[in-house]
Amino acid sequence: MTSKVVDIADLAVSAEPDTVLVTYSLGSCIGLTLWDPVTHAGGLLHYMLPESQLCPDKARNNPGMFCDTGVPKLFRAMYELGAVKNRLVVKVAGGSQLLDDNGTFNIGKRNYLALRKIFWKNGVMIDAESVGGSVSRTMRLNITTGEVVIRSRSQEVPL
Amino acid sequence: MTTGTLDQIVARVGAMPPLPDTVFRLVNVVSDPESSLQQVVEVIRYDQVLTTEVLRVCNSAYFGLPRTVESIDGAVRLLGTVKIFQLAMSVHARAMLASPLEGYGLPAGALWIHSAGVAVGAQLLARPMQLTQLGLLFTAGLLHDVGKTVLSEFVSEAYTEVVRRVVEDHTSFCEAEQEILGFTHPEVGARLAESWNLPESIVNCIRYHHAPDEPAVPDPLVDAVHLADTISLLLGIGLGDDGLAYRADPAVMERHGLSETDLQTIGVDVIGELRAVQELFAKQ
Repeated sequence: MTSKVVDIADLAVSAEPDTVLVTYSLGSCIGLTLWDPVTHAGGLLHYMLPESQLCPDKARNNPGMFCDTGVPKLFRAMYELGAVKNRLVVKVAGGSQLLDDNGTFNIGKRNYLALRKIFWKNGVMIDAESVGGSVSRTMRLNITTGEVVIRSRSQEVPL
Repeated sequence: MTTGTLDQIVARVGAMPPLPDTVFRLVNVVSDPESSLQQVVEVIRYDQVLTTEVLRVCNSAYFGLPRTVESIDGAVRLLGTVKIFQLAMSVHARAMLASPLEGYGLPAGALWIHSAGVAVGAQLLARPMQLTQLGLLFTAGLLHDVGKTVLSEFVSEAYTEVVRRVVEDHTSFCEAEQEILGFTHPEVGARLAESWNLPESIVNCIRYHHAPDEPAVPDPLVDAVHLADTISLLLGIGLGDDGLAYRADPAVMERHGLSETDLQTIGVDVIGELRAVQELFAKQ
């Protein structure tokens, strides 16, 4: 099994059997996996902020940094591997929060809402998710089986 | 469950590797506003490991220099004092922070990368917060969690209970540490820094990095380290099982007139700088 690491603000797709895409330490960031059960192609995005208007220059070089540039790029990369939108299995993890009662630092929540908004506009449904709380998550996508596993606080749980 | 008292743990501190002499001298040079570039050169040139590393990094593909730099003087002129200081601190602190910490569920290298993220973030916050002590901010950021390296052994025993408390009571990791162990990693880290005779300003940053409202008079350096830590936690830089179970203090933002957009921009820059740091330390 080959493991391919997706860093923060990055994305990767693969149609290679026996490959796992993995991203470590999702805090308030969002990890998004797409998998096509027919072509057995999958992709993983690890974005850190909702909107690219914060730094348009950075977004051009690093579309995976933001939700509004990373998500379209991930879908396009999947289509190039022959994936079809309505077959895609969509899973989401991350969006954690600090213990902050008045919500000054609620970027995790806004990261998640930005994704929901894009999905709602484009008619994409989320199949499974593990979001919120104050935990750090590692997300793995098995390209052969489409299985997604979340590791958090030393425990692994299928998503 | 026996975990020992704070004094017993601090006694353990004696068994910790001492802070390398070079680091101690560099911190003092940088803490002194009158210090010169030449003093930095003088400290580094007597440390063989550091000299080798500074020259290796200087001549790495990252800087793409047309010719080889062969002396520390040349390297310091080329990179500037701040970069050299960062490099020096990073080389030495890395050895201290790179081991896995079982108690906190931190894999090898995770605390190092988290600490580097806070160091870089604290320095980036200097401009919007109008602070000038770049070297101090970097050092304080790098060492803010050093207490975890000592506590890890103890926490691994009492750890299940600390995490259970965090999950069930929605309490912060520090509050759970205090309740179960009787002390917290910032306090242990501050004691360690005191035993190293580090400047009080750095000791305070370590002690109050999760409690910036505790000093009688707000301390802008503490505030910067607290915000840099907040940014690194949110970005998930080198998180362990403690995750994001820490409190962030919005009053710090108000004190310095910072908006959330400011924090996001700093976050973007932290990721950029961290990539550069990781590249510098990548095996050639």
